[in-house]
Amino acid sequence: MAMFGKKGAELVREAKQTLATEDQFRPFNQDLFEQVVKETDEHYAHLQERMSQIKANESSEAVDPNFVGGCAQHRSVLRNKRCLLAYVNARMSKIKQLRWDLGAVLPDDITANLSSTERTFFQGYSEALSSYMADINLDLTVDATPPKDPYVQIRVIGNLGEVLLDDQETSLLPHSIHFMTRTEAEPLVMQGLLEIYQG
Amino acid sequence: MANNYYDLDDILMEEEYVSVHFRFEAKGLGVLDPGSEHDDIEAGAVVDIPLWLAHDLCLRKFITIKLPYFYNERIRKEIQADASCVDLGRWCPYFYEMGLRLAPISPDQTLGSFLLYCLQRRYKEMLCKSLTVALTTAPKFLTLLTKEEIQLFEAARDSMKAYNKWWFQGARLERAPVLGRKRRLNALLSSFELT
Repeated sequence: MAMFGKKGAELVREAKQTLATEDQFRPFNQDLFEQVVKETDEHYAHLQERMSQIKANESSEAVDPNFVGGCAQHRSVLRNKRCLLAYVNARMSKIKQLRWDLGAVLPDDITANLSSTERTFFQGYSEALSSYMADINLDLTVDATPPKDPYVQIRVIGNLGEVLLDDQETSLLPHSIHFMTRTEAEPLVMQGLLEIYQG
Repeated sequence: MANNYYDLDDILMEEEYVSVHFRFEAKGLGVLDPGSEHDDIEAGAVVDIPLWLAHDLCLRKFITIKLPYFYNERIRKEIQADASCVDLGRWCPYFYEMGLRLAPISPDQTLGSFLLYCLQRRYKEMLCKSLTVALTTAPKFLTLLTKEEIQLFEAARDSMKAYNKWWFQGARLERAPVLGRKRRLNALLSSFELT
């Protein structure tokens, strides 16, 4: 039975939580999403039923009860649409942020929580951003906060092995401390492989 | 705040229920009235419906809206007595936004000025508290505030946090928060296995 937007509101609450949880990416709630779509279809069916009855008794002077009911059904369809779009939009903004925070390749546990269309969107967004950055020949994702010093001291957390830094190969062993340019360190710090070392 | 189509808070605010009086019969809306036994709503029935529906139907003059109890005379007296102690958050988390939406369509002309008065009285104390309370714990009086007030409060607190961060110059490069805590442990463990 159509619930006049209750499910839609639930979906919006879920979207709010998705935006609020910072330490993980919540999975796409396919189940609830489909329920709202189904409910919208029901409202549409009711609306058509009301519409067909309006034509039958057009002559009456007073406000047609079918018209009042039809308006409410119509509003419900629009309301559900707004809830669905808001949910998708909220997740989209979060996915865009992922590209800036984590780079073009996402870790598996985050990819698993994206729906297939969201994955396509991420690919597209990532490619658009990369090609723009290649065009202007500048990596926009680094230096989100203005740097004080072009060099930083870092400590290795993850296992990186041989890495090409400053046009020469350096071996970044776990727990070793290095001095490198900030531009090179920043993406690795964001991915959690290095941390800034303060002596 | 602008009426943004994708604004999640705006959508949730419109989900609050208001009590309305149906001026005409409405077909097929029986679901909305738990007391009704058939499919339709009679003319003259009083039913609770969500604000998004009420707003539209009221503009079409099918229904008239009764203001929710938290805008009534008794509550206004309480707010006049001591605005900052009144527990608005419990009555309606979207007290102001909802009032703003209702003001143009309700017969009560004084609602708008009452909301402004209410916010003015509560704002000062809230601002003082937000700059002085401890930065890490959630203060007790937060439950008294509405969603809009909490936003203002957090904004003031965030600016205080940013100021402190600038003042004490912490680390500026950090890993992305979306990765969570557990991955860091994994990374540490795997490096131990290696050595």
